[in-house]
Amino acid sequence: MTAPVVSAVATPSLARDLIALTKPRIISLLLVTTLAPMFVAGTPSWATIWWTGVGGYLMAGGANAVNMYIDRDIDTLMARTKLRPIPSGRMTPRAVLAFGVAIATAATWLLAHYVNVLTAALALAGFYFYVFVYTRWLKRTTPQNIVLGGAAGAFPPLVGWAAVTGRVDLASIYLFLIIFYWTPPHFWALALNKQRDYGQAGVPMAPNIWGARETIDQMVWYTVLLVALSVLPVTFGVFGRIYLGSALVLGGILLWGVLRVRGRDRAGTDWSAVAWWVYGYSLLYLALLFAAMAADRHLGA
Amino acid sequence: MTLFWLATALIVISQGMILRSTVRAMLAARSAHARRGIEWAYAIVPAVALVIVLLATWQAVQRRQVQVQVSAAVRT
Repeated sequence: MTAPVVSAVATPSLARDLIALTKPRIISLLLVTTLAPMFVAGTPSWATIWWTGVGGYLMAGGANAVNMYIDRDIDTLMARTKLRPIPSGRMTPRAVLAFGVAIATAATWLLAHYVNVLTAALALAGFYFYVFVYTRWLKRTTPQNIVLGGAAGAFPPLVGWAAVTGRVDLASIYLFLIIFYWTPPHFWALALNKQRDYGQAGVPMAPNIWGARETIDQMVWYTVLLVALSVLPVTFGVFGRIYLGSALVLGGILLWGVLRVRGRDRAGTDWSAVAWWVYGYSLLYLALLFAAMAADRHLGA
Repeated sequence: MTLFWLATALIVISQGMILRSTVRAMLAARSAHARRGIEWAYAIVPAVALVIVLLATWQAVQRRQVQVQVSAAVRT
């Protein structure tokens, strides 16, 4: 007598695949960096928060879906991506492209109609930058792909800020720059551990082209720059002591982690576990730093 | 003001070290991706943008100092 075999693996469905195309785990951090700046910029209404969140999710989700369409050839080559809807054959490339363009179009209309035109334009600029500048141009041509490409992920604070104020100013540019300079140490911590995957796919990530040592050195300097940059908004009155203390402590921990990777590399010992730690902590760092911004503005006065 | 100069000094040093490291990596890389002109441009664009932002920040810091001085004078 044999017991029925119950698969522990979730059954793929169209709805599940459509959600997977938007990369919801990545978007959750993008939403934090969109919504927290809204509370820094002012006191947004619930409607503005809702429509900016929905529009932001759909725009980023559309960009991610189009990214999966463009990268369908290399997604089949990497363990990390080969179970995505296109390489696994569950969805056709054309359907994925249509889905991505449709939800990005819907996001543009929602943001322009329910928030403001500048917010829609900034979100759309982020979409175009991610799809055309990062995915189509930089990703496969330069080891500095995620340095300049980091700008794509840095648009959400501009979107959130513009949703509340209707403009872009120096404070919002600092929020953009914080994400821009956070991207290299964050992404290279992953790339250090995925060199074989990226090598097989022919993506010229910095560790594959420059070597681990040069990449780790740059991670250290990018982290120092990030921590220094993150405290500058305090100097012209955007944030106060709560944020300053948070930025220094959170940034200090990130720098400690990156220096541990460097120390292990210099000592010739295995740094992979520490690099994974840096990758995970860097996600927490960004979320907590943006939460500290909102807390500072509302509790620190 | 001390915080501004301290942070700016760290940013300038870090950006300088990033550019130095990028040049070193470019010279060492022998792959098809070692297109030095464009790689140099990719490295220099964020550095130039950062200089512009730091200049704007300096102006904002100055404006804030004037505001603080004016409001202190009004109170007295």
